[in-house]
Amino acid sequence: MKLLTGFKLAWLGLWANRLRVLFAMFGVVIGMFSVIVLASISIGVKDTLLKQMGGLGAEQILVIPGRVLDTMSGQKDLLSGLTSVPSTLTYEDAKEAEKVENVRSVTPHLETVTTIQSGEGKEAKKLQSVLVGTTDQYSRVQHAELAEGRFFTKKEQETKAKVVVLGSNIHDGLLGKESTSEATQTPGHPAPEPWWKRLFSALTAQKASAQKQEASLVGKEVAINNEKYKVIGVLSPNAALGSSTDNNVVMPINTALQETGMKNLNKIIVEADSTETIDQVDSDVFAAIKTHHKDIDYSVVKQEQMLEALNKVTTILQAMLAGITVTALIISGTGIMNVMVMSVRERTREIGIRKALGATTFEVMLQFFFETLLLCVLGGLIGLGIGYLFIELWNHNISVFSLVLPLWAVKLALYSSLGVGTLFGIYPALKAARMNPSKALRFE
Amino acid sequence: MIELRNVQKLYRSGGEKLPILRGVNLHVEKGEYVAIMGKSGSGKSTLLNLLGTLDVLDSGEYELAGQAVHRMGKGKRAALRNEKIGFVFQQFQLIPNMSVYQNVLLPLTYGQKRWSGKRAKVLHLLKEVGLFHKRNQKPSRLSGGEKQRVAIARALVNEPDLILADEPTGSLDEETTENVLQLMEQVHADGATVIMITHDLEVAKRAERILLLKNGMLKEMANEAAYGI
Ligand SMILES: Nc1ncnc2c1ncn2[C@@H]1O[C@H](COP(=O)(O)OP(=O)(O)OP(=O)(O)O)[C@@H](O)[C@H]1O
Ligand SMILES: [Mg+2]
Repeated sequence: MKLLTGFKLAWLGLWANRLRVLFAMFGVVIGMFSVIVLASISIGVKDTLLKQMGGLGAEQILVIPGRVLDTMSGQKDLLSGLTSVPSTLTYEDAKEAEKVENVRSVTPHLETVTTIQSGEGKEAKKLQSVLVGTTDQYSRVQHAELAEGRFFTKKEQETKAKVVVLGSNIHDGLLGKESTSEATQTPGHPAPEPWWKRLFSALTAQKASAQKQEASLVGKEVAINNEKYKVIGVLSPNAALGSSTDNNVVMPINTALQETGMKNLNKIIVEADSTETIDQVDSDVFAAIKTHHKDIDYSVVKQEQMLEALNKVTTILQAMLAGITVTALIISGTGIMNVMVMSVRERTREIGIRKALGATTFEVMLQFFFETLLLCVLGGLIGLGIGYLFIELWNHNISVFSLVLPLWAVKLALYSSLGVGTLFGIYPALKAARMNPSKALRFE
Repeated sequence: MIELRNVQKLYRSGGEKLPILRGVNLHVEKGEYVAIMGKSGSGKSTLLNLLGTLDVLDSGEYELAGQAVHRMGKGKRAALRNEKIGFVFQQFQLIPNMSVYQNVLLPLTYGQKRWSGKRAKVLHLLKEVGLFHKRNQKPSRLSGGEKQRVAIARALVNEPDLILADEPTGSLDEETTENVLQLMEQVHADGATVIMITHDLEVAKRAERILLLKNGMLKEMANEAAYGI
């Protein structure tokens, strides 16, 4: 018969039983929703991590404390092989690394937690911050852009100048402004504006322009551990998962070493001239640092190895996704099949009537098959829609990392709901089609 | 129109064989109006389902409009039902979740025949049976008589040659019975062959010929007394 008629009959059949249909669809809706959201989370996490690791360029290597243990296969495993030990890396190590051939720059990184204060007496404002001691290369190597002012110079670094560059949260906090990023929102702050308001102001750019006219601390003095420092610049906000500069107070490495009394660095970023020399720089830097260390209590990591670790994480995420997809499909599929089998049973008389009116076995089969198929695809579409809404809401409200809805996930959701409909639609359809009309008409 | 030769039908229940029809012979001319009577459980519905090709006979021969039904497969029988037969049942057998209009339209959505002006046809029939104003209602909102009139409209919509009615007035009161019987007579007058099962002798008398199903055999009913025995 005509497929279109079968389709129309199925549509009518569903419409006539719309309440039951709604319940049956629930499983598919939830299933597809979770597939969509999980896919976008896994892609979002991967993108965010990639962006952050992108901070470590292909021509950069990272020297970190602790030794990355080799796996059985002789590979360095950043995920499980990283031992956590106190740092023994020093500024001397960094200077040693600088002497290595083909090294373009070396950026030491000293981090500690400190309290920063602006103003005196009653107007004083105190904030917890991350003190970072580093070199003038920092803003370039960390991709930290300046919102205003300037970064410190090599000269200021050597003369242990008392200058600081503030992260955007610290700057705003000291000015008494509300934090602009909820990633670092602390309790007690007033609730952030609703997302639609922020969306609106972002669109009209009102807030941004209003902010520019506001006060700045550049040129003013702040106090850290009772020592006065001059603010020379403010960093642009860069909310990111884990490694934001927003709460940093950046000062020259020599100043930091002297004022904190600390000796050990958290990491050293070494930049090679080019990607061709990266392997040579990698092993030479390792050897250079070895001259100051009795044991190997540090590690040298290339981007390649970071990516490997990242791939492992995303592989795990994707395996989880696949598992959840399959589970969701089986659960929603069997749920739908159950509902359809019940529906077929309840509609036994209807089937008898249709056959009495001249419906063939095939026509009845087609109708019920299409009913299941439509049910699944409709449920899939609704789940997709809700998932899309969720992702939009998330991205407007949460800036830690953004969710990305990949096209393949949309296709996966639609194809799999079609697949589920086909697979689980066959049995109820056959059950309906095989009924003996005279018996079906007698059914009470 | 109809020719049954030595038709047998038995049901199996729990390994036991229950012969219901034990050699039924029947000849019905085109355009005839025949009533079939018989006690409850005598096999009237079984016989009508066979005539309507809803069920298959165990042995014997069945010819409908010159075609050997007993040799047909499922598909052919479905097509035959759709083209040539209209059913009316005691329990109306309307699809509950569909409107009156959709119920009447249903036979036209099946089968190979291309109908033109389906909508007009359905609405015309609903006017004939006096239910045009209730075309968008669900069957549950109709009275018994109204339901049966919808069922009759549905039975007529594909212009069948044969109307098979299984106690069409069995669930109706006197007034609506009369109404339905007049509709049947009109259908008959328009040229259709009508076979009607009934318990009610008064109803049966409206037909041109009365047959009695007894002990699995079909006999011409000579007089009223024969039915009582
Ligand atoms: N599918 C079946 N399986 C087993 N027995 C059946 C089946 N259908 C009908 N029967 C039996 O066959 C007999 C005849 O049934 P049928 O419905 O034809 O009787 P009937 O004459 O129409 O009775 P009524 O006047 O009560 O409608 C009954 O005893 C019934 O129980
Ligand atoms: Mg009966």
